[in-house]
Amino acid sequence: MKLSGTAQLSSPPARVWDALNDPAVLARTIPGCQRLEETGPDAYTMTVTAGVASIKGTYLGQVRLADKNEPSSYVLHASGSGGPGTVSAECLVRLNADGDGTALTYDADAVIGGVIAGVGQRVLAGVAKKMAGQFFAAVDAELRGLATVSEPARPDQSVADLQRTEVHPGLADRSWGDRNIHVDVRPFLVGGVAGAAIALLGVVVGSRLGRGR
Amino acid sequence: MTQIFGEPVQRREDARLTTGRGRYLDDLGRTALAAAFVRSPHAHARVRDIDVSAALDVEGLVGIYTYDDLDGPLAEPLPLLIPHPALTAGRTAYALADGIVRHVGEPIAMVVATDRYVAEDIAGLIDVSYEPLPPVVGLPAARDGNLLVHADLPDNVAAHLVQETGDVDAEMTRAPRTVRFTQTIERSASMPLEGRGVYARWDAQDDSLRVYSSTQTSTSVRAAIAAKLDLPPGKVEVIAPDVGGGFGVKIVHPWPEELLVPWAARLLDREVKWVEDRREHFISSAHERGQIQDITAGYDDDGRLLALDVRIWHDHGAYTPYGIIVPIITSTQLLGPYKPRAYRCAVDSLYTNTVIVTPYRGAGRPQGCFAMERTMDRIADELGLDRTLVRERNLIQPDEFPYDPGLTFQDGRPLIYDSGDYPELLRMIRELVGWDDFETIREQSAAEGRTVGIGMACYVEGTGVGPYEGGHVQVENSGRVLVSTGLTSQGQGHETVFAQIVAQELGVPLDDVAVTTGDTRRFGYAVGTFASRAAVMSGNAVALAARNVRAKALRIAADALECSADDLDIIDGIVQVKGDPSSAMALSTVAVLSNPLRYAFDSAARAATQFAPRNDPDRAPVDEDDEPGLENRDYYSPIRSTFAAGMHAAVVEIDCDTCEVRILRYAVVHDCGNLINPMIVEGQIHGGVAQGVGGALYEVMHYDEHGQLLNASFMDFLMPYATEIPHIETAHLQTPSPLNPLGIKGAGEAGVIPGSACIASAIEDALGVRISAMPISPSDLFELLATDPERTRRGSR
Repeated sequence: MKLSGTAQLSSPPARVWDALNDPAVLARTIPGCQRLEETGPDAYTMTVTAGVASIKGTYLGQVRLADKNEPSSYVLHASGSGGPGTVSAECLVRLNADGDGTALTYDADAVIGGVIAGVGQRVLAGVAKKMAGQFFAAVDAELRGLATVSEPARPDQSVADLQRTEVHPGLADRSWGDRNIHVDVRPFLVGGVAGAAIALLGVVVGSRLGRGR
Repeated sequence: MTQIFGEPVQRREDARLTTGRGRYLDDLGRTALAAAFVRSPHAHARVRDIDVSAALDVEGLVGIYTYDDLDGPLAEPLPLLIPHPALTAGRTAYALADGIVRHVGEPIAMVVATDRYVAEDIAGLIDVSYEPLPPVVGLPAARDGNLLVHADLPDNVAAHLVQETGDVDAEMTRAPRTVRFTQTIERSASMPLEGRGVYARWDAQDDSLRVYSSTQTSTSVRAAIAAKLDLPPGKVEVIAPDVGGGFGVKIVHPWPEELLVPWAARLLDREVKWVEDRREHFISSAHERGQIQDITAGYDDDGRLLALDVRIWHDHGAYTPYGIIVPIITSTQLLGPYKPRAYRCAVDSLYTNTVIVTPYRGAGRPQGCFAMERTMDRIADELGLDRTLVRERNLIQPDEFPYDPGLTFQDGRPLIYDSGDYPELLRMIRELVGWDDFETIREQSAAEGRTVGIGMACYVEGTGVGPYEGGHVQVENSGRVLVSTGLTSQGQGHETVFAQIVAQELGVPLDDVAVTTGDTRRFGYAVGTFASRAAVMSGNAVALAARNVRAKALRIAADALECSADDLDIIDGIVQVKGDPSSAMALSTVAVLSNPLRYAFDSAARAATQFAPRNDPDRAPVDEDDEPGLENRDYYSPIRSTFAAGMHAAVVEIDCDTCEVRILRYAVVHDCGNLINPMIVEGQIHGGVAQGVGGALYEVMHYDEHGQLLNASFMDFLMPYATEIPHIETAHLQTPSPLNPLGIKGAGEAGVIPGSACIASAIEDALGVRISAMPISPSDLFELLATDPERTRRGSR
């Protein structure tokens, strides 16, 4: 599965670069990151709780940064496995100065397997993109000295989102519809994966959810 | 021996089906994941993008699939099931749309979720962006060819089919009189109470798939699934459980859902189920009937039809997965019981941006019958002759069978009428409806200020098409007889009639016989249930298998009783010497003896073991050309179809203020050869007549110019209730078919075929207006009364 995306960060490339290479920052910003350990230069292992749709689980992953070209690009190699499946991904991350901030782009190629691979390409891509977006937003917030977007904040927001979707016929006017209001969206926020250490992380993560056995 | 074949035995399945103990598709797989589909809201559009992001947060989502997820054979277009040389531009859809949708309802994405509510919510949250394209709606638009359904087909023509016999142009030129007219026939649909449905279970340990489908052909669904999912057919089981009606629509396969649901079950290693809702049935299954007919008839002063030249434009919807079976049948069955010197039917099968068209009970015959019978009425009208007289003068005579009109039928074989007595049918229908006394009734009614009319219509129906069906009959040690056949049941009463046949052939009580249909675990070779073929095909197959079992039973019993098999008979499950009931053994004992044993598991089995007294040390326990067990499998494969026939007559009353049509009497005479069960045949006729009335007076698929089906619900789609169906008077003629051992012909579709023609004839007779469209609504009739320039007389015929 090929996946690419962009993120806009308000800090310049050098600062973003540092953040993306700081295990402490990563541990705070990777969605769903339970544990992140540096195992060697530019190599990490991590535990991430993530899920795609109804297939959720805890993943163990390895992440390695390569081809580093500070502060403008690197390649992230990630692999992970967990209950629902396995993922291996390669992701090229580029940081470009954009005014005072950074325009980050990523291009990932992930191989996903296992049960998670069965959820459909659009679901996998959607979740991966979403997690990548959350990850970069968290990194950005961290750099701006704001509180990292915390997990509890999201469910509220998503309640609002769901309520907004009342325009969808059938959601609002069915008696059972309100159960959707209480959706626990944390697993999705989480997601971060494996490693992904960095930005890609999100990306990878999403994908990895699915790598097969 | 008690007579069972031919008796009005009560349907054995009804106790189960009418007390809530049926096992329909939705009764199965209660814990399965549920599938729902995102379907096109446009009749013709390019799919720009499918955005699922809004759906990702819904708890219970398992997967969302689009064309991009499909691979291998599943990513190719769906099969074109019945190729034909005239179908030069066949087109089929993809299981999920690949970039372009060609009718409202075409599936674009499949959602799998923990239950159907969630799945539907998620489907609603998937945002598909479309670039609408101009739709082709209706036959005139398709014929114009200004807009195209398939960009690579410049005229929207899928097939051009010509059936011709004799020199039509010469006969037409020579004919003293000609008449020409145009007719339009609306769409309708099968509308089974239970829609389509699929439930799939994947066994990851065994790499095997079990699929339950509400289908008219389980064996062919299996073949299609195996091919499309790249599985060995032996690893796929398909079972048609109780099916709540088919009427043709469920012979189409594989439906996209029939492939996608098993595919998802394997992908996810979870049970997955989908059950069609009513709107889906309207916009995503299949319709039938829609045609425009341009008819020219040449005839003489006596009303003899000399030449018939018919031009048909057939609305095939967006794709042709079931080939051109419907127009083939229209063009080949159009002539009915008549014998014009020359006949030509040229059909253009046209694509439109509407739901596909595939057989619905009658399968093209009601349209053909409408053409022919309205022609007969025109000729009678032009000549001022009685309508039955004109028909009588054109009938094929009993001594002309087998009669070859010179056409090629839907099975690719010569269409040859095998037997029948059409003049007798005509005599019977006149008598049954009181045709000759009707003028008195018309006068009496007129004196009361009431407007009544009488009409009639005749048909011949090719039934029991091949290639084959098989049957398996097994006598268990208990004496219970298991019968299985591969074709499926949708409520026809197969459990009853096949049991009657086997009980009769074998000589056992009906209650000892149990029938299984449509289960590939029990019988792997079959074609399916359509074309009024089940009784003819599987009925004869189980009869042949039962005869073989009987012969074997007599041989084993003769050995045991030390007599000749010729001296034995089987009566009520007991094999006995004719005339000496004291020398006898139960069929159950014969079953035990048929299987030589080493191990005695019960006292009966002891008789079959190696130290049993009758064990002959000089013979192999199982003879070289024999096999253990009292069972047999046999097949029936006919040379050609067998042709049933019938005639309907109706008396209608018209309210001249509201133009409402009330059917006062409806009479049916019917010849389907030997009757297996007259009550079931009558039930088939009753159901068919009800659908015929629907087609004549009510059923329309109301598409607007954008290709939106405006009446896609039971609120808006008019079907007749019991209140609109008159008492149906029936009489049977039995002209056995010479083509099969039981001498039977099909009866499943007979009731529906002449309905529209018959009722149109009666309305025309009552009011003197030309009826050239079906159905005819009160508004249509009101309009006709106000404008018909030909309206000359009332009740002159």
